[in-house]
Amino acid sequence: MAPSAMTLTEKIIARAAGRESVCPGEEVWANVDLAAMHDSSGPRRIAGTLDRLGGRLWDPQKIVLAIDHFAPAAGPRHAEIVKLTRDWARERALPHFFDSAGVMHNVLLEEALALPGMLIVGADSHTVTAGAAGALAVGVGATELATVLVTGQIWLRVPPTVLIRFGDALPPYLTARDMAMEVLRRLRADFAIYKAVEFDGPAVDALDLDERAVLANQAIEMGAKNGIVPPTGTVLAQLGAPARAAGRPLAGDEGASYEAVHRIMMAGNAPLVAVPPNVDNVVPAGTLGGVELDRVYIGSCAGGKAADLRAAARVLQGRKAQVPLQITPATARVVRETLRDGTLQALLEAGAILQAPGCGACAGLHSGLLGPKERCLSTVTRNFPGRMGDPSAEIYLASPLTAAASAVTGRITDPREFL
Amino acid sequence: MSGVYEGRAWIFGDHVSTDQILPGAYLDRPMEEVGAYAMAGLDPSFAMRVRPGDLVVAGLNFGCGSSREAAVMALKQVGVAAVVARSFGRIFFRNAINNGFPAAIVPETSGIRQEDRLRLDIAARTLTNLRTGEALPLRSLTGTSLEILKAGGIVPYTLRRLERSR
Repeated sequence: MAPSAMTLTEKIIARAAGRESVCPGEEVWANVDLAAMHDSSGPRRIAGTLDRLGGRLWDPQKIVLAIDHFAPAAGPRHAEIVKLTRDWARERALPHFFDSAGVMHNVLLEEALALPGMLIVGADSHTVTAGAAGALAVGVGATELATVLVTGQIWLRVPPTVLIRFGDALPPYLTARDMAMEVLRRLRADFAIYKAVEFDGPAVDALDLDERAVLANQAIEMGAKNGIVPPTGTVLAQLGAPARAAGRPLAGDEGASYEAVHRIMMAGNAPLVAVPPNVDNVVPAGTLGGVELDRVYIGSCAGGKAADLRAAARVLQGRKAQVPLQITPATARVVRETLRDGTLQALLEAGAILQAPGCGACAGLHSGLLGPKERCLSTVTRNFPGRMGDPSAEIYLASPLTAAASAVTGRITDPREFL
Repeated sequence: MSGVYEGRAWIFGDHVSTDQILPGAYLDRPMEEVGAYAMAGLDPSFAMRVRPGDLVVAGLNFGCGSSREAAVMALKQVGVAAVVARSFGRIFFRNAINNGFPAAIVPETSGIRQEDRLRLDIAARTLTNLRTGEALPLRSLTGTSLEILKAGGIVPYTLRRLERSR
């Protein structure tokens, strides 16, 4: 009997587990293709565990370490963590070490370390972002990552897959962030716990890697084990020959069964905003017109990519921000690219303040944290109380278009007013 | 691991995130010190008032958000014996099991009140409210996760796997 049809997530697990097929609910041990960690979850947290496990790394070529959380250091404690991380990488001559070059999740995609069909494990919840390249990318804690660094293996329960199909073309005033927020509005923040979420459809096919990264990234806010965008069209071309190497799966099987299929049309939708304190408290931006802002923040693995800065510049070109507008590019490459194409100039002339690339204030550690009751509209990953500083600060989440329009008026604003 | 945990209940709501269980401001602390900040984002007095053996009881999606293992370690360090919820953020759940800290899923937690005495019996697969006598079935802690919990966490579990493969 031929093995039953599998979704892309199931096929990746089956291959990684050395099995012909797997079914949702089964538990398997799988071989990891890439293991990633950063300065917060990495050496400082795992050194002791690694020693207990014998200290030998399974395959340094398959290990990625990025300094992104504590740099630039806000104080001596941060600086110590950064130095410890750097020394650890140097002592081992780690081939994939990224020192203050940007957020690990975005670096994995930029450097084409994350490729279709890979099983990627990372010590960070937003590891799911690598699903944008068609990888199965899951977040774990630091201790579990340490066991992966020694054994090269992880146990997984095969998740059922939920398919989100975006059926039409995306209007120019909406972005992938609006798509993700529409999913959260309809299905809520816990619909995908222990599940895989796959995104497809015409609106997804038209997205570049940066925008697909938003869908995959926000899968964790839906509760998912992983978010995955099967590589198609321009993204498959962009990923190039390595994407097709090693016989890793690029798509699910015809006739694969999904636990649920949700069809979503975006035409006619308004730009959306997630109202604190939850990611799924989503309403049209236009309904919040009276909400005055202390600050606007554009940054993070979800909202600080080149596509995000370009979107913000579409609105801010020739205009002025009325409230402080902080920009934390996700990576150093984003800075270089947006410098070359004039995006940064447009943003800076509009009054934006440019900060060092990395996680910035999204990790709640430095670079413009919020004070008590301060109200910020932001493109960061999540708006939980205390995420960007004081627990009483209010974080509204939105697309970079909405963030830019809101910076221009000083209150939450539908970007269609400026497009 | 005896597998039976008896203690007072501390009630929390739905969608308690790891940003609240252990706020980012304390992420730069050594792991041995995070207990002092357990639940600091929700109730800064929790770490002072909680007693060893108490159980944290929550609704949906407890521990959603960041993968920070310090969220589990903070609860463990102040003596919380186990966490009970209707569902967990899956990374928090794995972090708990990986550190030998029981995370029990039950169908309903709304009948449990602050300071109720609870008994979590992993072998019997029940959570009993000793005030009402109501016993709820466990929906987690099976298969590999139960083996890891019984081993005392993923490190002793992995050491055994490595020994077996030698």
